[in-house]
Amino acid sequence: MGNITVTINGTEISVPDPMTILEAATQNNIDIPTLCHQPDLTPNGVCRICVVEVEGARTLVAACHTPLTDGMVIHTRSPKVLSVRKTIVELLLTAHTGTCVNDVNAANCALHKLASDLEVGEPRFHVQKPRFYAPEESNPYVTRDLSKCILCFKCVKACDEIAGKGVLSVGYRGFESKIITGCDDALTHDICKDCIVCADACPTGALSRPDLLDKKQKGAV
Amino acid sequence: MERASQDISLSDKKREDLLMLLKSAQAEYRHIPRAFIVDTAKALGLPENQVFGVASFYAFLSVEPLGKHVIRICQNLPCYLKNSRMIIDSVKKKIGIIPGETTPDGRFSLELVSCIGACDVAPAMLVNHDVHGNLTPQRISEILNTYD
Repeated sequence: MGNITVTINGTEISVPDPMTILEAATQNNIDIPTLCHQPDLTPNGVCRICVVEVEGARTLVAACHTPLTDGMVIHTRSPKVLSVRKTIVELLLTAHTGTCVNDVNAANCALHKLASDLEVGEPRFHVQKPRFYAPEESNPYVTRDLSKCILCFKCVKACDEIAGKGVLSVGYRGFESKIITGCDDALTHDICKDCIVCADACPTGALSRPDLLDKKQKGAV
Repeated sequence: MERASQDISLSDKKREDLLMLLKSAQAEYRHIPRAFIVDTAKALGLPENQVFGVASFYAFLSVEPLGKHVIRICQNLPCYLKNSRMIIDSVKKKIGIIPGETTPDGRFSLELVSCIGACDVAPAMLVNHDVHGNLTPQRISEILNTYD
């Protein structure tokens, strides 16, 4: 388990083995955006926002779960990477229903922040039937608005791995996929108690803490 | 329905038996009742939401009650090129429901599915587990009349 040498954006660096591309980049102050990744959760590489170019690789790879190998040459901001990343944001936005323009919680939405960072303009992709789920406010600790969910599965992982409760999982398939509790039941106090790790993990405000929301709303008025 | 587990034995079952159990439930009750999901989750030591996740994922399992006969029409490319739209329309007209619905008398449910492996006889559909291929709108009535 010695050190290996890799090149990120033209700079040669030496890092301990094993390590992922993302970990090495973060350690060297190279910013790679992420949505579904959190350092204390197992990476699952579903959102693809962290894609980077690795010389010799057939496709772009997700930095969050790709281990470094000796001599790897990585580009994190090449034109190809930026253009793909932008398209990924646009695709994610199509399923992220509702303009967050009037939403006080939009400031918390990592997807919108990313869209503005990458200068994603007017929506390019249109869906015939946008996903819509009524927001749920019955749980005093977590507010759920699944229309905003981008299915990054971070909440599922957080609930399993941090809280150890396994209350959340994925139900249905394809475009109908959604994060469910119980037999696709409402998120009530009986199912989900006050640990709120899922709300803290959620990058888009699909799960949020009503207490924080209240404060912001009051502040905004 | 409340005591689902009496008909299908859940004793000595492990996680890997989940799919077979759900399949038996589907055959027995024409859908997977909530009570069955709850009992199965308890017996296998899994959270209910995970059992529901599996039950709702597969096209041949349903968490909503289905009719006596389930019509599954392929909507993938080979069938599409062989005019499956027309078949879908004539089935819709014949039984008066749209995909995802069940007739009020509970006789038929209609679903659109992915490839059923009958591309050689496209356009094709399944009624329960019977494959019907080389369909034409004229043959739909004839075929459906054999299921009562």
